[in-house]
Amino acid sequence: MENKLQVRDLRISFRTSNGKVQAVRGINFDLARGETLAIVGESGSGKSVTSRAILGILAGNAIVESGEIIYDGQDLLKISEEDFHKIRGDKIAMIFQDPMSSLNPIVRIGRQLTEAMLLKGKIRQRESRKNFNTYLSNLSNAMAKSATDAAGAARAPESCKKFDKFEFKHIELESAYNAAHEAAQEAAEDIDKLVFELEKNSVGKDAADRLGDIIRQSRESVNQYVVPVEKKDQIQSLTGKVKGDFRRKDYKAVVEDLRAIRAILGDAIGKPVPNFFRMGYYLTYSDKPLPDMPLDELNAYLRKYLDDNFMLDFIRDAERGLKYSAGESRKAMEEAIDALKKALPVYAREKLDKKECHDTLKRLNEAVGRTIDKLAITKDSLSYTFPSSMKSEIDNYFHGVKANVKVMRKYNREKRKYDAIVAKGKKPGYELADPAVTDLELIKGNIAHLINRLCDHYSQVLGDAGQRDYDAETVGVIDYLKESASGVVAKVTRQIAKHRAIKLMEEVGIAEPHKRYRQYPFEFSGGMRQRIVIAIALAANPDILICDEPTTALDVTIQSQILELINELKEERKLSVIFITHDLGVVANMADRVAVMYAGKIVEYGTSEDIFYHSAHPYTWALMSSMPDLDTNEKLNAIPGTPPNMIYPPKGDAFAARNQYAMAIDFERQPPMFKISDTHYAATWLLHPDAPKVDPPKAVTDRIARMNARRQSKHE
Amino acid sequence: MSEQEPLLRVEHLCQYFKAGNFVTKAVDDVSFDIKKGEVFGLVGESGCGKTTTGRSIIKLYNITSGDVYFKGVRICAGTQKLREELKDCKDPAKQAELREKISAAKNDQKNCDKMYSQKLQEETRAKYEPLLAKASGEERTKLQAEYKDAMRKAKNTRLVTQIQMIFQDPIASLDPRMTVRETISEGLVIQGERDKKVIDEKVYEMLELVGLVREHASRYPHEFSGGQRQRIGVARSIIMNPELIIADEPVSALDVSVQAQVINLLNDLREKFGLTILFIAHDLSVVKYFSDRIGVMYFGKMVELADSDELFAHPLHPYTRSLLSAIPLPDPIYEKARKRITYNPLAEHDYSVDKPSFRQVRPGHFVQCNEAEYQRIMAELSGK
Repeated sequence: MENKLQVRDLRISFRTSNGKVQAVRGINFDLARGETLAIVGESGSGKSVTSRAILGILAGNAIVESGEIIYDGQDLLKISEEDFHKIRGDKIAMIFQDPMSSLNPIVRIGRQLTEAMLLKGKIRQRESRKNFNTYLSNLSNAMAKSATDAAGAARAPESCKKFDKFEFKHIELESAYNAAHEAAQEAAEDIDKLVFELEKNSVGKDAADRLGDIIRQSRESVNQYVVPVEKKDQIQSLTGKVKGDFRRKDYKAVVEDLRAIRAILGDAIGKPVPNFFRMGYYLTYSDKPLPDMPLDELNAYLRKYLDDNFMLDFIRDAERGLKYSAGESRKAMEEAIDALKKALPVYAREKLDKKECHDTLKRLNEAVGRTIDKLAITKDSLSYTFPSSMKSEIDNYFHGVKANVKVMRKYNREKRKYDAIVAKGKKPGYELADPAVTDLELIKGNIAHLINRLCDHYSQVLGDAGQRDYDAETVGVIDYLKESASGVVAKVTRQIAKHRAIKLMEEVGIAEPHKRYRQYPFEFSGGMRQRIVIAIALAANPDILICDEPTTALDVTIQSQILELINELKEERKLSVIFITHDLGVVANMADRVAVMYAGKIVEYGTSEDIFYHSAHPYTWALMSSMPDLDTNEKLNAIPGTPPNMIYPPKGDAFAARNQYAMAIDFERQPPMFKISDTHYAATWLLHPDAPKVDPPKAVTDRIARMNARRQSKHE
Repeated sequence: MSEQEPLLRVEHLCQYFKAGNFVTKAVDDVSFDIKKGEVFGLVGESGCGKTTTGRSIIKLYNITSGDVYFKGVRICAGTQKLREELKDCKDPAKQAELREKISAAKNDQKNCDKMYSQKLQEETRAKYEPLLAKASGEERTKLQAEYKDAMRKAKNTRLVTQIQMIFQDPIASLDPRMTVRETISEGLVIQGERDKKVIDEKVYEMLELVGLVREHASRYPHEFSGGQRQRIGVARSIIMNPELIIADEPVSALDVSVQAQVINLLNDLREKFGLTILFIAHDLSVVKYFSDRIGVMYFGKMVELADSDELFAHPLHPYTRSLLSAIPLPDPIYEKARKRITYNPLAEHDYSVDKPSFRQVRPGHFVQCNEAEYQRIMAELSGK
């Protein structure tokens, strides 16, 4: 599966007046496309800090000690604030825990909802225009260079230009169709609802508003391929009539009129769709008008027309271009591997030379830059992040060299004082802290690791080169071009934004969205505010959604509505979701994979089945047995004590002090991640082969037995 | 108090809020009673009036109409319904009767505390006066001081202090500028306790009872974790020796592990003192675990009331069914297959002709329904 987000060895501390609080201590995880990862743990375990680091909104006193967060070929820990503006809220959105503090109290809800849409709409338009243009020109270059004869080389830019032109015609046609179709669909839905209420004789206060919407939408749905132009007059007269009837409060007539409109719309919605891509080409380059024939015949005709005149040649050329570009990149990779291998000793010396390091890095960056295949659609993240990662490591090194001298000087001074006290035979009233020196060897190791990792990656790509399916890739390229072109035309006006916002508000379950749209946050109850926050997060249509305890303050019905909503959106838009919560019931509902965090570390990691049916870490057991479910009668097992103070993290396992299964080694050494199965890992010494065998507490085994029984009884 | 008399009886409680011309019916005709020593759970979605019910009982709001009886004494009484009736009434005899009722209700609403403290004062007087008459010399002065003290306390005691509340948000409900000692002892001080030693002893006792230590008394709320803060809230409410505690979502703002600690604490206290608890929450697993009986509220109305096992085994009202179907369980396979039942009151009920009322369908099991639905439910039940 394609990984959307990779977090590697992330360490974050906070500078406070009492010392450095180590909030996150080296965590690793991947997030695949369309997957939900749940992070579970008590407050203060570092879940929220992790998510904030991904979004680049850590508090000012935070220090990122090490690690990488790779998204879309960028390391989010190292990019500038300017670049982050393009990602935050647009590609990665967050639903916050406390709805009141994440809404602006003096701005109306409607404005807050549409703000992101309007802002990002412009940026997206600009970006997709840029993407489309650069990609097309890259493609045209590759096609020209790979051509076997002069005619082919001359044809490449020509055909790309042609593609550009008719693609935009296609988008124009399609977006007009989509708008009309959507309007028809919504009008139909709204009519159903209103008719239902009218028949029940319970007309709400906003019925007039909604009727207005229906009229507007049904008029908008007039388009050649939705509601045909011949029926335009009919719709006009019906909508005019329904208005009058409603004003006279003649609800019976209103219902009849609405039913008539619904019938027309119903026909229109079910109609087959013509292929606008082909039609775009025909309308742009053929002098003749569209032939009058049934839709499937028309589609076949257009297809033949397009293939004969343009598409087959274009695909052949594009595939050749792709192959050429990939070949170039492979050649560059071989060179880059050489260069990287040669550069290794430079960074392994006893004492690094600043100038030499930077010069080598410059050369390496060029070599690595050449390996990037400009026509690859999924970005090769390692090549992209290599320069920034290397630079920050080298900078850390030379900064550390300077800082270490200072630190050591200070330490020696204090050590002399301490020794003097000891020499006098007195007991010093304090303990001498170890000097906080930067570990230069570790940084050198990191640099070597970066280089080696890239080399391995390249040799793997070279090894897999024979298995690439260029046919499929060419199709992918054309889809990619179509997609970026659609972004250019999708213009977001205030009207459209408002319409979408109201639809979103309806989707998240806010009643009377028209009225609510103009209210201020303080006029909403807690649950409603949370829904607004969710709607805002979804407004920009993000790639990754981070939910920081979004439903903790809500009651069950709304909670499950919102969880369903997030699940639905996830399916629909292939969203990746990071879900932070301490409610295990919610985790079971949402998660594909679960990471249990304690004291800044992931203590157990696996699929939700692994965690709930075969949990292996005592902390997971404790969490599970401290929560009542519907069949619990016995006393709950509360976890004794409190989480450790992270200014002085314990030497051994952080959970040892509260753990009834703790062994002597738990207080001495930190357990590594033991592998239980391919998907399931846990960090506890109990899994060591020499450890005594222990069973989970009775509450947990009982619960698992109950779950199995319930499932079996359901099967029967 | 006789065996049959419940500790708290709520009859036709209505609480309306006026905002301009618009009246919000936060609580609309809710009746239930709570027996001594039981835990009564109140569930429903946010905004359905659970909290308002709790706050009306403790007289944080003046109720619109209905009565609340505590230990047989009417502590809240609303008059709006009676006044409306009076307006429509033509019969003079009935009018007089209604007028009397209204004035009685007003009197109770206003003076129930005064009457209670008068009763206490009389009791104290009856206890001390013969003693005083007998005593003489030094003993007499001592007794006199004691008598004065007791009288002051009796004067300041209110009936409502026997109902105490635990609030939802442990951070917002503690004054950040008061030490824990001041917070916990505030009730005692208002009641007229002036002896520092007695106050301190009482505070330490309470702190130890809720699992904190004496040293915590001189600290400020911000120095505590969420669970500890909620414990302080519990200590504050039990220091007055209440008979009824209204716990308004005491655990929903807490972590799972801490939640378990607080629930265990409440359970222990309940066993130790025989406390009666009105438990308001939206986490149904916790309510099921904790309560003996459960009332389900929807839009200001009580829709179903039953023993907790009965309610979970045989939910009858469609809203209860929808609510139960929404509980998330820590079981991924079950969860992924779970279907939520949606509740749409317009589609479920037809109340245009026959208005619904609160009827008993089984001993102890009440459902809000109209005649047709009642017949259907009875048929369903006898069919089983």
